[in-house]
This record gives sequence, structure tokens and C-alpha cells, in this order.
Amino acid sequence: MTTSYPSTSVEAREEVGRSICVLSYKSLKIDEIIKSVSDDGAGATALFIGTTRNSYQGKVVTRLEYQAYSKLAIKTMTDIIRTAHQSATRSTHYSTPAAVPCIISCAVHHRLGTVPVGEPSIVIAVSSPHRKEAFVACEQILEEVKQRVQIWKREYYEGEKEDEAEWKANSS
Amino acid sequence: MSQPEITVLYFAAASTATGLTEQSVTLPALQYPLSSLSSFLASLHPDVGLDKILQSSQWSVNAEMVDNVEEVTLMGGEEVAIICPVSGG
Repeated sequence: MTTSYPSTSVEAREEVGRSICVLSYKSLKIDEIIKSVSDDGAGATALFIGTTRNSYQGKVVTRLEYQAYSKLAIKTMTDIIRTAHQSATRSTHYSTPAAVPCIISCAVHHRLGTVPVGEPSIVIAVSSPHRKEAFVACEQILEEVKQRVQIWKREYYEGEKEDEAEWKANSS
Repeated sequence: MSQPEITVLYFAAASTATGLTEQSVTLPALQYPLSSLSSFLASLHPDVGLDKILQSSQWSVNAEMVDNVEEVTLMGGEEVAIICPVSGG
């Protein structure tokens, strides 16, 4: 099963301070992603793993395929991370000294190409001194990625023609 | 003077409909309004449903999302992408 991907759908990575955004055709390594945000000042690390599910509205899903306009997608991802850092700074209720950031580090990894059932397509890790900021930022980043990042998913179903597989759209 | 040419990128449903991921397109006029590009591209790919796909899509020009289509004029040399509704995650 060879699928050709657009030449503009390539691997990419971009660092924003201590945070990182990655688009990769390879399996996402959850342990390494967690490690990449670790910090002795972090009392909390929130982790989200989005995985290919085996069913959609009664149909059996065999695999997902992702493609991205990588050049633009990675820009959008870094913008989302910057915004997450800023809004965490604004919303904090703790009397943290200014020198201590509310979010220490974020990592957003999105997979491209074929993702079999049961494998992660997106992993987001956020480290923070306290749990609340980590949870909030992790969810905010996920929702923004789904809304805005120039990545597309095609769902393949058992017993249906490959060329009729559906391109999904995230509802806003 | 040579006719202005742009590169059009097709992803997802737009790519499936046209059978292309990338296309060099010669614009029909100098200083071509982006707002006219939908119907022009649909005329290059008739009967594949591209017109309908374009209706629900946005544009990016040189890897920047376009907020207001009416404000953009293509001069030639741009990389224009059809941004279908996204579905990452």
C-alpha cells in the first residue's frame, strides 16, 4: 500500500524557547516527549495522547492518514505555544515570583503519514510548577491544534474502497 | 512581458478531487485578484467538485493565512494553497 504524499508535507521541527513543535512520519515516542519537558522546577506534567480509534459511526476504521502543509502548520503550532505561555502567565492565581514561569515547557508532536489503529497521532506534554496550569495549557493547545493547524486526516474503513476514504473536518 | 505564474498547492479533498498536489498556473491577467482564483481554478478542473471544496476552504499565500480575500492581489511568483477545513489531532 504505497501512498504518495504532497512534497510540501514533510517532517518539521521548531523550538520556541524551551518548547518544541514537531511534525514526524515516525512513531511518536511518548517517553522521550515527556522527558523533553522535564524540569526540576516542575511539580506537574500534563500529557495528552490522541490515538487512532478502531470505529467511526459503526464502521471499522483500519487506519488514518495524515498530511500537512508543513511550512505553515509548524508556524501555526509555534503561535499556539506562544499564546499558551502568555495566557498561562495572565491567568495565574498563585503569587509566583515573576522569575518563575507558569508553564515551563511544552512539546507538541503530530504524526504524518499512515497511523495504524492504536497508535498515537498526537502527543502533547506540558510541564509546570503546579497541576492546574499544566492541565489548562495542555487542553488549550490541543483544541487550538485541532481548530487551526494545517493538518488533514483521511479515515479508511474496512470493506470500503480506498479512493473513497473520507477526508475529515474538525467541527468548530 | 511574460504572463504571471503562481504555484497552487492542493491538500486533502482538493488534492483527491484534482489528482494533483501541486500545479503551476498561469494567471489570466496581470495583478490578478485572489477573489477571482476560485472560479478560475474550478474552470481548470471542471466536474470534479473543486468549486464546492473551494467554497468551504480558505487561502494561504506564501505560507500566510489570508484573512480578507478581497485585499489580496496576485502578482505572479506566489505559492498559493487551498486550505480545506483542517482535521489534525
